Amino acid sequence: MTAQSDWVKWDAKEISYEIHSPTHHDYTIDKSSFGLRILSYARNAYYYFISDVDGDNCPFFPSCSAFFIQSVKESNIFRASLMFTDRFIRDMNLFKNNNRYSLHATKKYIDPINNYLLEEKRIILTTGEFIE
Amino acid sequence: MNNYFSNHFLNSINFYQTKVLAIILFLLPFSTILFSQTMNIDENYFSPKNRLAFGNFLFIQEDYLRAIEEYKNYLMYIDNDTVRFKYAESFYRIGKYNEAADNFKSIFYGSLLSDEAKLAFYKASFFNGSYNSFRDICKMEGYQSEKYAKDINRLFLISHLMDESILPDTNHFLKAFPDSTKNKVRELYMMKKFPSKKNPTTAMLLSMFIPGAGKIYTGEISDGITALLTTGVLAYLAANNFKHEHNFRGWLFAGLAVFSYAGTVYGSYASAQIYNAGVRLNFDNEVKLYFEKRNYLLPKINFLKTND
Repeated sequence: MTAQSDWVKWDAKEISYEIHSPTHHDYTIDKSSFGLRILSYARNAYYYFISDVDGDNCPFFPSCSAFFIQSVKESNIFRASLMFTDRFIRDMNLFKNNNRYSLHATKKYIDPINNYLLEEKRIILTTGEFIE
Repeated sequence: MNNYFSNHFLNSINFYQTKVLAIILFLLPFSTILFSQTMNIDENYFSPKNRLAFGNFLFIQEDYLRAIEEYKNYLMYIDNDTVRFKYAESFYRIGKYNEAADNFKSIFYGSLLSDEAKLAFYKASFFNGSYNSFRDICKMEGYQSEKYAKDINRLFLISHLMDESILPDTNHFLKAFPDSTKNKVRELYMMKKFPSKKNPTTAMLLSMFIPGAGKIYTGEISDGITALLTTGVLAYLAANNFKHEHNFRGWLFAGLAVFSYAGTVYGSYASAQIYNAGVRLNFDNEVKLYFEKRNYLLPKINFLKTND
């Protein structure tokens, strides 16, 4: 008796098929050093002009840009550049070895910078544990 | 006359029936008290005897945390080695190995369970995490158990497979294990002694000669081929642009080619390290699974399953 209360004709609902990115870019400026400040501006420019427009396409977690920033923080700009180049080449590989990487909740390959600092004790494998 | 007697008789029946009914109705509220209270009102639920019974019940139900509390309260009044053992065993089963080892120590001397306590003490020390400390404890005098000497020695040998310590001699190692497990233990021993690791320096040198070859060496074939193609294409573009006197583009591609080459050499070293870490992790998992399935070849202590 009370179920039918709406006599207005139903309209087509506006549906958005946009896939929302589960990750959000961090635009904060790192002011701990001059180099990192410059790098933060460069990263923000990349996020604003390229990444946000292009979408969340990097198959790795963390993404290549985040990987580079973390590498600089953990080591130095020279080593970080080598780590980033290596990562970028692995990114270009169309036939990635699924056994090598474990999957993140976002279905991306987990590839932490710890594995590329050349310190065996810091390597993180698929179980997510540090090797002691 | 007959009529008078019959009426009087009927009246008397009604009177007695009513009386009985009234008594039943009066007693009905008290019936639950009369029939339900079968236990002695003075029974002490927290007596040591009841605490032990409840503790044993919890132990069998694998509720070790609460069993510890009951055993602890029981032991405050009555000293009993079996209960002490179960108290320590409860700590062991919830992964509190330090507490377990300390409590097992309290039954080491002057007890019928002395040997079992020593075995359990070594077991708790083994799982405590530091195999070095465990081996040091094994060498200490005063803790040795004649009854379980072989089992403890076997645990001592197994600990060498669990960390980076130097392995004992092959014959000495294998002699301690029963024939049924010897083949698998030999295989694990050999895997530990001669792990199929990749040398990071070799991987790096290979990539220096042929970009990506180091990655192929570590099993990352598609990564290696991608690195070779990327470096090759960039080098070709640099050379081609220099040839046609497009110097800016030439230097640009040359720079990218150098980065690609250097990154591949660096990545090959890292790739070999990741490979080796994987070999170690797989080996550790295999050893743990094998011995866990067989309870580390230790005898089971039967009285723990009973309600004693």
